Amino acid sequence: MYFLEQLINGICQGSIYALMAIGYAVIYGVVGLVTFTYGEIIMMGSFSAFYYFIAFGNNLWMALIAGFITAALVGVVVHKVCYQRFLDAPRYISLICTIGMSMFLKNLATILFGSEMKGMPTFFGGKFISIGTIRVGYLQLIIIAVVIILTVLLTIYLKKTRMGMRLRAVSQDKKAAALVGINVKTTTLIGNCIGCGLGGVAGILLGVYYNSVLPTMGGMAGLKAFSAMVLGGLGSIVGSAISGVIIGVVENLGIALTSSGLRDVFAFVLLVLILFIRPQGLFGKKGN
Amino acid sequence: MIDRIKKLYTDNKTIFLIAGLAAMIALPFLIVKGSVMSIIVKILFYVILASSLNIINGYSGQFNIGHAGFVLIGAYTLAILANFGWPIWVLYIVAGIVTAIIGFLVALPTLRLRGIYLALVTLGFSEIMRLVALNWTALTGGPMGIKGIPSPWFFGLRSTAPHNYYYIVLFFVVICLFTSYRVINSKVGRAWMSIREDDHAAMSLGVDIRKYKSINFMFGAFWAGVGGALMAPFYKFIDSSMFTLDEGFNILSMVIIGGQGTLVGPVVGSVVVNLTTEIFRFADEARLLVYAVLIISMMWLRPQGLAGTSKSVIANRSIRKSKQVLLSKLSGKKEVK
Amino acid sequence: MLKKILVIVLSLSLLIGVFAGCQKTEEAGVIKIGVAAPITGNYAEYGKGFDVATQMAVDKINAAGGINGKTVELVLMDSKGDAKEATEIARKFTEDPEILAVVGDFSSTCCMATAPIYTEAKMVQISPTASHPDYAGMSEYMFSVMGRQDAEGPFVAEYLAQKYVGAEKMAVIYLNNDWGVSAHTNILKRAEEIGLEVTAVENFVDGEKDFTATLTKIRQTNPDTLCLVMFYNELVIISKQIKQMGWEDVKIIALGPGISEQIVQLGGADVEGIATSTPFMVSPDNTVAVAFKNEFEQKAGFTLNVHSACAYDATNMLAKAIGNLGDNVTREAIAAELSNMKDFVGITGPIIFTANGDVFRKYLIAQIENNKWVQKTDYSYVD
Repeated sequence: MYFLEQLINGICQGSIYALMAIGYAVIYGVVGLVTFTYGEIIMMGSFSAFYYFIAFGNNLWMALIAGFITAALVGVVVHKVCYQRFLDAPRYISLICTIGMSMFLKNLATILFGSEMKGMPTFFGGKFISIGTIRVGYLQLIIIAVVIILTVLLTIYLKKTRMGMRLRAVSQDKKAAALVGINVKTTTLIGNCIGCGLGGVAGILLGVYYNSVLPTMGGMAGLKAFSAMVLGGLGSIVGSAISGVIIGVVENLGIALTSSGLRDVFAFVLLVLILFIRPQGLFGKKGN
Repeated sequence: MIDRIKKLYTDNKTIFLIAGLAAMIALPFLIVKGSVMSIIVKILFYVILASSLNIINGYSGQFNIGHAGFVLIGAYTLAILANFGWPIWVLYIVAGIVTAIIGFLVALPTLRLRGIYLALVTLGFSEIMRLVALNWTALTGGPMGIKGIPSPWFFGLRSTAPHNYYYIVLFFVVICLFTSYRVINSKVGRAWMSIREDDHAAMSLGVDIRKYKSINFMFGAFWAGVGGALMAPFYKFIDSSMFTLDEGFNILSMVIIGGQGTLVGPVVGSVVVNLTTEIFRFADEARLLVYAVLIISMMWLRPQGLAGTSKSVIANRSIRKSKQVLLSKLSGKKEVK
Repeated sequence: MLKKILVIVLSLSLLIGVFAGCQKTEEAGVIKIGVAAPITGNYAEYGKGFDVATQMAVDKINAAGGINGKTVELVLMDSKGDAKEATEIARKFTEDPEILAVVGDFSSTCCMATAPIYTEAKMVQISPTASHPDYAGMSEYMFSVMGRQDAEGPFVAEYLAQKYVGAEKMAVIYLNNDWGVSAHTNILKRAEEIGLEVTAVENFVDGEKDFTATLTKIRQTNPDTLCLVMFYNELVIISKQIKQMGWEDVKIIALGPGISEQIVQLGGADVEGIATSTPFMVSPDNTVAVAFKNEFEQKAGFTLNVHSACAYDATNMLAKAIGNLGDNVTREAIAAELSNMKDFVGITGPIIFTANGDVFRKYLIAQIENNKWVQKTDYSYVD
């Protein structure tokens, strides 16, 4: 029973990672570049919710929307500064740009919001469902549900709408997409904004789940998202989602067996091992 | 402007080198204040670290973004063994060797990985090293770090005062730059550059890519280890928070701002970055904003860095042209202009 | 050729000029004391308290004519609670010949990391708060006024946990740093002696935010009391996550945060009922302390905590020692003067250093009731 409870903790945490990884996968797929600003996007989303709660009261759903929009807007800035100019340049240039951008956003947040931890309000505090002797918190269920709904919505959007198809076309082959008359520039921008928006939502869930926001929260979160995406096969949405959950579960079970200090070790050892054994990721196709 | 300075430099190389060295030796006599001197010592640390990263990223074109992991190994090797009573002078070298071995172990399985995957492995490696240092309390002191790292003795002087320690670091900087210079202008260095520009072409020219890539990683790691080992006695205290990924990015930024693939690049990068952040120290947190803007604007305006070459793939030029230049270099002919 | 040499000489002199410009001229008639405190970062509340309290002490001294006619000036630096930052500050302080002694730092880790540097410079570092038993003994120049963990830990186990909240089965979560290791070891030792069952001991590294897995693990062992050895940030997160899990039947006691205002502000209803130990709380009949408390709260904008009161006392002690030395003030002499001082009475009571350079204190119990820290016992509770 204890094991199952930890498993649920892991799935809950993992679903937040999954959402972050999906956002990252959309960005990587469309833009084709690695970003280190993603963690700061997550942090910005989280902060937007923090201030939303102060200004308009504790409405989680509205805050999620606000967070999506804020993160998407930050995404526009990141796109203009870090990607647009460098789509055809050597990759390291935009990568360094995103490192600079991440530093910029992190320190801007420190100056604007202060470096201290801020407390998030408690949602569904103390309520839980008992299945036998297993307790599952309301908040955990809500988080998992939000992530599943968003993943389904994203998949429908990508498969069924015109814009979604354009996005998929651009992520498969930019040149071919341009040849059939797709505006590659706008499409990459929109794809990047969607990815960032998902990151922002994930950031809010993370902040609410941990009951805290602070300017440095993005660093590790961004790396986890990155690892999950690589694990899932660069740019694969389903793969990223599953890998996110895997990382969350491995972490929580790892803590259950050892100590919480080793949390991040599990994620990175998993990452390095997978890269050695299966460089294309768990769900990636060979030959890339 | 930059090109003119460069021309002035290339025309009078020896004069500049001798004058520069003399100035460097005289520097501590001109500066009274210890805190200014320790900034200069810090710049020298980063000269070594940035140069060592430049060997890997700039010369062989592998993409290492977890350099902090190697620095960590060097620093901890010295700190741990120094507490067992090993002499510090020997430990600088030992730390370098240990790091080079680790560098080899990292390079070995990554030889078949390229670009983003290699970057990821170095990233993971760096974080794993940091987390091991953070959690292996018995060996590394865990979150408590290692305190009271002893100072080397230097002609009867306690040498961690910045004015004295400066000479030790300067000594290693000179050796680091000199050996790098020699290696780069040897067969090995040319092999690295051919791999950077086009590894298939290099292979077809008979360059043993695996061998040269691992030599490259070991050489870079060695100096990263020495750099880390130099830092430990100066700060007298190390803990894992000094070797985060951000620290690795910091070193990387210095290489990029200075210009990868050139010997002076990392030196320029270290000076510019450290001076900028020190000058803006009064601005407290805002100084990192300035640093961030500096990084981004460099990428926009001069992606090859302040002292960077514009003749290579890393300078965002057409690959074909640079390949021609290099191939002609390899075949021993003079550059076609 | 001449032109080239001219260029070299010019550029060299420019370089030298830049560095020479950094040298400052000295001022006379001023006594400078360094203050190293975590103004930003995870321990910001304590750092800001240090800042306000030390400045209050100095303002009072200067208003009364300074030390032997010289005005006192504080040089404040932000160590961010980071030991590397603290060592750089220590280097700056020791290299500035005008700075006579240092008040700081907050955490035991920072203090212990900087101790060798201050000792080499024969400079006093008097920490308001470092309570690791080994710290003050590191050299004759290290002092601490907060009391030691080998006194507070046993108090927490025997009186706060067993006697006050009536714990029978206790779990401990501690912050993994010098202070936390020492504090929890002392709790565990006494708990074993008095037969208090400890069901689980877990630790975490500074910066951890998700305690769900750890708490689930601890809950399995069914403790009735949770002893949290940490500071306000993590304490608040853990209390919230405990509420989030719906774990109602557990009492929370804390060692470390003291009567921190941040706990109440960040935690709200989720921290109600948390009890902690503190060496000092202002009682209404102590007029000096009440006046100090009011002034402090007016200046700082938050409730007086024990850490700030200790910073105030440390500054005053240092000033007294410098004053006693008259014209023979050297860095070295201050240490001897401090360890021989037997008549100092501060806000937190009389302070007399042991041979190590620290203080043994008695403790009170405070608890959060209706969003406020309330003193629940007095010093005689131990008897």
